[in-house]
Order: sequence, then structure tokens, then C-alpha cells
Amino acid sequence: MSSLAALARLHATRQGRAERLRQVRHHHLVDEPLVLVILTMAGEAAAPLACMVGTGRRQSTLLTVTQPRNRDQRRAFYAQLAAVILPHIRRRENTLQQLPARPGKPPRQRCADAPQIIVANHATVDYLSLVGRSIRFQGPPNTTETDPSIALLGRWLTFFAERAEYPGSSMLLPLTAQLAAHWATGQSILEDESLSKLLAWIEPPAGLTGVQAALRSENPVLFPPAGPATDPTFDAVELEPRMITHQQALASGDHLTAARTATELQDALASQLRPTWNQVWDGLALLRAIPQAARSVRRWEDDRDHFTSHSLHITRGGAPQPVHDQAVDAARRLARLERAIHMFEDEQALDDPFVLAERRTVGTAFAGVVVAREPDRQVTSAKGRRILRPRFTIRTEDPPPIARDQDLVDPERPRTIVRVREVLPEQQDMHLITVEVTAGMGSVSRPAADAVPELDELVCYTAWPSQWGAAEFPSREQTPWTHTGPSAPQTFTDLSEAEQT
Amino acid sequence: MNTTTTRLNALRGGQPPVNHNARTLVGLSVNPGCARRALLDACGADKGTVARQAGHPWQFGQSRFALARGNAFEQQVKEYGGARLLALLRESLDLPVEQVAYIPLKSVGDSTGREQRYRQTCRALVGAARGGPDPGTLYDHPMLRLNVGGNDVYLEPDLIAFKIGDRFYIVEIKSFPVIDRQANGAQVAAATRQASIYVIALQDLFATNGLDPELVATSVFLVTPKDFGNTPIATLVDARKQISMLNRQLARMDRIDILLDLLPSGLTFDLAVDTTGVPTRPAANLAADLRRIPARYRPECMAHCELAGLCRDEARQNASLDVYGQGVVDIFGGVDTTHTALALAEGRQPSDDQAGVARTLRHAERLRAALAEGAA
Amino acid sequence: MQNNEETLDELENRLAQLRRALRLAMVERDAARVAQLRQQLHRAESLWEDKAAAEQPVSAADASDASAPAPVSPDAPVSEPALAALLPTREQVHQTLSLLEVPAAPKLITAVHEAFFPGELPASRLASLRRDEERSYRSAPNARPYYLCPALTADRLAPARALLTVSTWPLERRIMGAHSPRVDFLTTATKIASALISYSQLGPRWTPDAQTRAERLLRSFAVSIPGALGPPTLAGHVPALDPDQVGDAAKAELSVHLEVDRRQRSEAATWARDRLSEAERLFGNRLASVRNSASAD
Repeated sequence: MSSLAALARLHATRQGRAERLRQVRHHHLVDEPLVLVILTMAGEAAAPLACMVGTGRRQSTLLTVTQPRNRDQRRAFYAQLAAVILPHIRRRENTLQQLPARPGKPPRQRCADAPQIIVANHATVDYLSLVGRSIRFQGPPNTTETDPSIALLGRWLTFFAERAEYPGSSMLLPLTAQLAAHWATGQSILEDESLSKLLAWIEPPAGLTGVQAALRSENPVLFPPAGPATDPTFDAVELEPRMITHQQALASGDHLTAARTATELQDALASQLRPTWNQVWDGLALLRAIPQAARSVRRWEDDRDHFTSHSLHITRGGAPQPVHDQAVDAARRLARLERAIHMFEDEQALDDPFVLAERRTVGTAFAGVVVAREPDRQVTSAKGRRILRPRFTIRTEDPPPIARDQDLVDPERPRTIVRVREVLPEQQDMHLITVEVTAGMGSVSRPAADAVPELDELVCYTAWPSQWGAAEFPSREQTPWTHTGPSAPQTFTDLSEAEQT
Repeated sequence: MNTTTTRLNALRGGQPPVNHNARTLVGLSVNPGCARRALLDACGADKGTVARQAGHPWQFGQSRFALARGNAFEQQVKEYGGARLLALLRESLDLPVEQVAYIPLKSVGDSTGREQRYRQTCRALVGAARGGPDPGTLYDHPMLRLNVGGNDVYLEPDLIAFKIGDRFYIVEIKSFPVIDRQANGAQVAAATRQASIYVIALQDLFATNGLDPELVATSVFLVTPKDFGNTPIATLVDARKQISMLNRQLARMDRIDILLDLLPSGLTFDLAVDTTGVPTRPAANLAADLRRIPARYRPECMAHCELAGLCRDEARQNASLDVYGQGVVDIFGGVDTTHTALALAEGRQPSDDQAGVARTLRHAERLRAALAEGAA
Repeated sequence: MQNNEETLDELENRLAQLRRALRLAMVERDAARVAQLRQQLHRAESLWEDKAAAEQPVSAADASDASAPAPVSPDAPVSEPALAALLPTREQVHQTLSLLEVPAAPKLITAVHEAFFPGELPASRLASLRRDEERSYRSAPNARPYYLCPALTADRLAPARALLTVSTWPLERRIMGAHSPRVDFLTTATKIASALISYSQLGPRWTPDAQTRAERLLRSFAVSIPGALGPPTLAGHVPALDPDQVGDAAKAELSVHLEVDRRQRSEAATWARDRLSEAERLFGNRLASVRNSASAD
């Protein structure tokens, strides 16, 4: 957390409502996202109780299970869920287009549109990953576990859950993370994981402060949890007695009671899902109201590329994602994630003055006025040629930059790249930073006119987003299956380190 | 010791003491710096009821479904004389095929009294450790005992296995899944801490009976379902770190009189229960006494401590930075309250030791003001 | 407010309110109010049952209660279904225990019965059996040819938890020493294996459903017996089940334990014959005297 974000939390408390932390929205939102709210039975690894899924506040499908421990009911639930999600994906797969060749790149295919799933929180993302893992492999032939639509759903859920880990991807978005990125509340990060408490701070009801509204929404009876876990009092009072009655009625052939309790169970589960369903749409509306960041367009293209190649992988009969994450693959994945994080952060800083300001509090960006300049400075290159290397000096009150060998850019003059050459402490809290222009300065004979800012001009430098020159790793779909594996959520402990027995 | 017990009883008041169990003992180590929690636990106060009476009920609990699933899985692992468990131990540790003896300790005849069961457990385990004629292999639901802060706490592990390489192993059966050899880190940690308490209690049992505590393995067996099914798998987990951490915490409970000495006289958590069993102590009055003992609130308390609602409310009223969590506290190190932080950010003259943090705050505030202007 | 004029709809509304109030009280940790609301909810639910039953008198299944004869299982063989289904619970249990010839818990009795005998035998019906049998014995000793009795623990000759036996068995078999759970487990596996082999020659009288259940039961035993299952075939495919192999593997391990188990059981039986009355031998010694280990305290 930056000191700016931390300070914003204090202001949020004082003003009684959340404070904006971003000027633009850094994730793409499609016109027709698929919202999914899902509840699971406590104590089971992946036994869904119910879900609400659909592309509009008033266009939802409710799916419920009367006995989640029953395998057949579970599979029936997945088949129904597949019947909603797979056609949604299929329609996007049908937007496949041919992209013309570009310099250095052969012609290729990309879907013009891609599916986007919005869920309430991170716990739901982890849960979908588990569900994906549990159903993406088809059972032995000619058994009840052969339904190809269920396995296909599992493969897609796995794909979405893996993309969700990738910084900057918008394919599967947990809403709490989105809202917490754009608003600072007056509560802890732990409490920000609750969708209703976040919304309480962002838009407190009239007459209530954020802290009062958040306190009120802690009552799970008035504000059902957003899932996948249910409220234990709901389990004890509403769910368990009816499940028992339902089972007994089925066993004794009492169809009337069985039907009645099934309806009651469905109503009870819907009562837990609907408030969250509405909150997700409320939260989405809040996000939509924020203008979209320019560079999120390119990131969404990246998402569409991944979507396209996974779709082609499936069409060509490729294997489902394997279970084991081999060491080599894990290392590559980490490296890939690391680069993606830097890239995403650098890009956000260029799009958003709030992010830029946050960076200025931690020494990864700085701003100040130009106090000296040498626009005509020349040096001799290693090959003995005279080249133009203008320098100028900036006085800043920001903490001095930490990294030296990094390309920096001013968002206001994106054609010029500079590097820090010297940092001198001046008077209290001030530093003089001398930078050298390394790109965009023109040549000795034809210097670029605006490569060096004028004296007293206000400038601001932040990292230039780049792939760090590293070779592109093959995408997961192009990697042989022996080298790929699913990504485990980071909150999980690897037990294979212990003595497995 | 006696005076300590008397003082602790007075602190608790008229209500009967709450029995500690492995879960509450483990809870002690979660926030070791909190004097409020340490004292309430030491005197056996029912924190849930106390918090409620003080006006801040706090609810966290397990679903009945989770409890039912846990019980069903344990039963499955243990049925038919622990047949599944034997298979696991044979596979993983080459347990000799002759070792199958199963000793149920869940009751002594018709009696399920804790002290009686504890004695029965002592007899069985001490006998086995001394090389008795027919040492058992699986001791089902033994009863252990540990003295914590002057009070006996009875502890009931799922199972103790002997002898594997001449050692006794604590076996903890949990129903959370291990999927592709990975399990939820928090659940593994909690299970390991719980099993560590049993290791300590079993070491204590042997030491009391003049036997070597080293007889107890400091690794514990975690038996959990594999992937999405019910097939149990066993994992040996090294618990040394947790054991020494809990030992430190238990030792601290034994020095509880140091904390007692600091208390103002007359302070009590008594609920003034009337003849019909209804607590009558006014909320404000009880809360005031609670607040005279320093707490160390942190957001993590919400998942561990029944007092969390009260302590969070107190932290908010004091405008303490603790409500935001460690991240914010670290950034504004040296400043305790929201008021001070905002005042420094907005230009109040800092004291000498606040100079650094004041610079950070003023800088952030300037940026914030510029953004507000730019956005407007 | 709980007047009898309340319509079913009004009552349902009240039920919903009570449930909500109950949950709120649970959240507030208000134990007294939780207890009070639970009672109210329970009363309102009974009231609802009565009203609903009155409004729908044709609800056919209400006729069956626990004391009535078990309904005929759809899986029961076509021949003699009525007779089999009308067998009293104690006889169904006796039938099952006679197949196993070792002490068994209700869950196992139900599973074995389900696999090899017609009619239903829910575990819930076994709950009161032990008490009823003891009462019957005490009011008229030895009036029946057999009684269903608990197994006895070797150390105290007290009733062992949940395990049922038949009074006509040798006392040794009814006593549980430390090795007995394993010995009885392996014996059970051999019995189920041979039953499976002989029943599969019965043809259509043994339904495919019952056979599947029997195989599933045997497999659940086989996974805990070394060498009882073949090696796993393809990845994800379960190894084949061969009842002969399971039986042989169980017998092989049995030979390791039989001697020590027999010794322990017969020592305890001798002790029981010397010290206990017949009733105590059948239903267990309730005095908490400990054999062999009186010196330990």
C-alpha cells in the first residue's frame, strides 16, 4: 500500500465515505458480462448448493440442488450451468476474425469479442477454479460421468480462473478487488473482502456514515454473505431441516412433501443469492461510471488472444489442462506473472494521475521543475560517432528514484525516453535529479524540437512499460502438455513438500 | 499459586469457568501480545457471553454441515478398528502386519467422565511406553490433561498411534480436502497447531510418569480426504515450530500474575447473573471494566476472538490506526491515531520523533490535494 | 397470536418470521432467546403439519410410521416378497448376523442386509433393539430361542459400543479384545466374499442392484486389506474386484492375528464365566470394575 492510499483511508473515515483512488478504470467491461453468484455446501470440497447466473439484472437463471452431497444431482447442476455458460462462450467464439499480417507477425486469428465473467469476490474465483478442477476430466466411457458439456464447462472454468490470476486480465473479475482498487474505504483490507461492506462505504445509505453502514451490513441475516460460503445460521435454521424433511419424504414416497420442501429449499436459496446478485449489478454500475483507461484496450486484446487460442486448442481436440504444476512450468509462470505485474503497473501510471501520484510516494516516479538544461549536449559513442545526448536537471520534493537503469517517460511527452544519471540531495526534502535523454532526441543534424523541456517547466517521470526485452514465452496453449499445469491459488500450501504418504 | 487462582476466580466472577480445549488453547497463540484476551482466557471467562453482555456480540462459527462432514469422515477413517488408517500406516511407514491392536478410550465402561478417561489413557499409554506385554497400535479418542495457568485442561486427540519407530504419533483427522497434493494453508496451519497442543499434553503425560517426553514424535499425522472424494490420505507434518511457539505461550499463561498485578482492584468480568440465570450487569459498566485492560486489536482478531467487535469499536472510538490493519500502521509508524496523522498531513508542527512520518504525510496530502484539484 | 383461526398462509408467514428471528438471536448469541424461539418454531411447525394434513387428507404416505411393517422394497425379489418384508426387525438382524458370524455395528448390518436379503432394514430401527431385547429377557429369561445382545469388552466385560451379537454364539466370539476389531473385520470380508460367490449363482433371485451393493461393500473392505485388490489398471480406472482374491488375502492376514486374538478372548471368557451371572454375560457388566489393572491408580 502506498502512503497516498493509506492516507485516503484516513480521509474516508473522517468524511464518512470511501474516497476515490483511481481516475480511470483499468479493466475492460464488456457490454454483456456474465454475472455468476454461487453458493456451496459447507464442509464439502466442491458441492454447489445454488447459483444465479445471467447477463442482466433482470435476466437471471436460478439453479439449485436439494442434496449437494448426491453425485447425480451435482452433475445435473453442472449440466444446467453448462447449458447457460457454454452457449454464451460459443457466441463469442463465433466472432473469429482473420487478422492481416503485420511486420514481424504472420497473419493470425482473433475473436472480435470474448466472454467476461463477473463474480462477487476472490473466494468465488478460487471456488470456480476448484469446480473446474473437479469436472474438467471426463469419466470412463459409458458412465454417468461422460457428459461432454460438463467436462467442457470444467475446462473453461479452469481457463477463466487461470486468467484471473494474470494482472490486467479482465476475463474473470472479482468485484470486491475491482471496487477496492478504485476506492479507499475507512476499514481494513480484510473487511474490504466483503462486498456489502465495501458498498456500504462507497455509497452509504442516506443518514449513515460508511462505518455505520458497514457495521449494519455485518449482520448475515440482513445481508447474506456473497458466497460461496453460506451463513451458518442459514444452514442451521433454513437449510438443514428442509433437506432432512425432503430426503425423508423422498425415501418414504411422499411426493407431496418432497415437492413442497424442494420449492421451499429453492426459495430459501434464492433469498440468499438475490441480495448479492443485486449488489454485483450495483457495483458494476459504479465501475461503468468510471471512464476506461486507454491502455486497457490493448490488454483486452491480449485477453481475446488467449481466449481465441484456448478456443482453437479445444476445437482441435487438445487435452484438458493437466493437474500437476511441474517445477519448470511453475517457474516460467511466476516469471510471466512478475513481468505482467510490472507491465500492468507501469501502464496504469501512464493512464492515471492517481497511480502516478501513488508511485511518487514510493520512489518509482518523481515530479518537479526543470532547473537546468543542456539540450545540445553531445557524446562520442562506442563506435566513435558524435551523438546527441541532451541532459536536464529536475528539482523534486518526491522521494528520490530507486531504480537507475530504467527507461523513464513523462506521460505528457511519451515520445522521449530518459534515464537517471545523477541524484543530489539539496536542501531539506529536496533532490536534484539529472536525467539524460536516451530516445526521441533526434540526431545531431536534426534534433527533435521538444525533446528537452523548458526551464521551470513541470515534468513527471515514471517507468516506461516494456516487456523487459525478455523472449516471449509460448502461450499455454502452444506449450506441450508435459510442460503445462494448472495454477494453484496462492493461498494454498503445497503439501507435496511435506513427506507425502 | 493459590492467590493467583483466587484472583483469577474473582476476575471471572460468579459464572462457572469455561473449559479450555485444544481450539481455545491454540487461539491463545494467535495474538500473544493481547493482555485483555490473555486475562479473560486465564480466568476462564466465557468471552462470547462477556462480549455480548458488554453490547458487542460477535459471531463466528462453523456450519453444522461442516461439523457433520467432519464427524462422518472421522468415523469412516476409524471404523472396523481403524482399518483404513492401518492401511495408510502400512503403506507409508511399513507398519508391521502384526500391529493391529485397537484400544477404544472414548469411554470407560458406561462412563465418559474426563478424569476417569484420563486415568485409563495414562494406564494404557504408560503401560505401552514401558514395554508392557501387549502394546496397542491405535488408541482411539484418548483423554489427555494439561495444566494451564493453574487449571487442568482436558484434551481429546482423534487418535494416538504406537509404535512407529518406537514413538507415539498424534493422528489428527480433518475433512478439508487435499487436492492435487495441495491444501488450504490456513486449514493446514490450524490443524497442525491443534495437533501440537496434543503433542505437548502427551509429552507432559510421559514426563509426569517419569518417562522420556522424546517418546512423542514432533511430527504429526494429518489424515484428510484426497481430492474430491472420501479416500483418506495421510501426510506427516513437522510441527516443531508450532510446538515451541505454543510452549512459549503456555509458559506465559503461567506468569499471568504479572498481568494481574497491573490490574486496578475491584475489576471483574462478573455478569451479575440473577436467580433465573439472566445476566444483569449493565453493558456500559462491564465494557468500562474490559477497557481498563489494554487490548491489541488487529483486523485478524475478527476471525479468532469473540471480543473482536468490542475491541474494534474501542479502537475506532480512539481513532486508532489499528482498525486499518498492519499495512497502514507500518506506513505511518510513530503515529497512533487518525487525528494525529491527519493533523500532521495538514501541516501541524510535528514533534522530533514524528519528523519522518510527518514528511511522508505532508507529501501524500499535497499529492492528494493536487489530484482533487485536477479531478474537479 | 397463535389462534386456531390462523390460515395456512398466515401460519407460513409466522414460520418465516420465527426462523428469521431465530437466526437474528443466534447472531446476537442470545442463548435464552434462541431456546425460546426454537420452542415457538417447533410448536408452529407442528401446528402447520396438523393444518396441512387436515387440508390434504389424501396424503397417502402419512400412514407409514416407524412401528408399521417396512414397505416392500422395489428391489426385493419377485418371489416371496411379502413374507420377506414382514420379517420382524430382530429376525432380519439375526439373519444378517448369522451370515457374518462376528459382532457387527448397525451400519454394517444394514449394508449386509441390503446386499443379501430382501426387505428394508434402516439403521434407525436398530437403535432401540438392544434395550428391547434386554427388557424381554429380564421379564421372561430364556423365553426366546435367541436374544440380540451387545458384544462385551475384554477388559471390563462391559457392553461394547454399538456392536450387536447373538446370544447363542460362544462367549469367546462375543468378547472384543484389542485385536478383535481387526480379526472381525477380516472375517467379515471373507464372509461377504463367499456370500457374493454363492449368491451370484442364484441367478435372477438376486437382483443386479443388490449385487452392485454387495460388490461395493466388499470393495470398501478390500481397499484396507493387503493384496486383496489387483493392481490399478489404466490411470483413473479402479482395479478389478475378485471375491476369491479378497477372501484369500483376508485369510492370509487372519492367520497372523488369530492366535493372539483367540488367547485374549478366551481368557476374558473364562473370567466372565467365573464371575458373571447369565444376564451379565449376555448384556454386559455394568459395574466399573477393571480386570487385570486394579493396581494402576
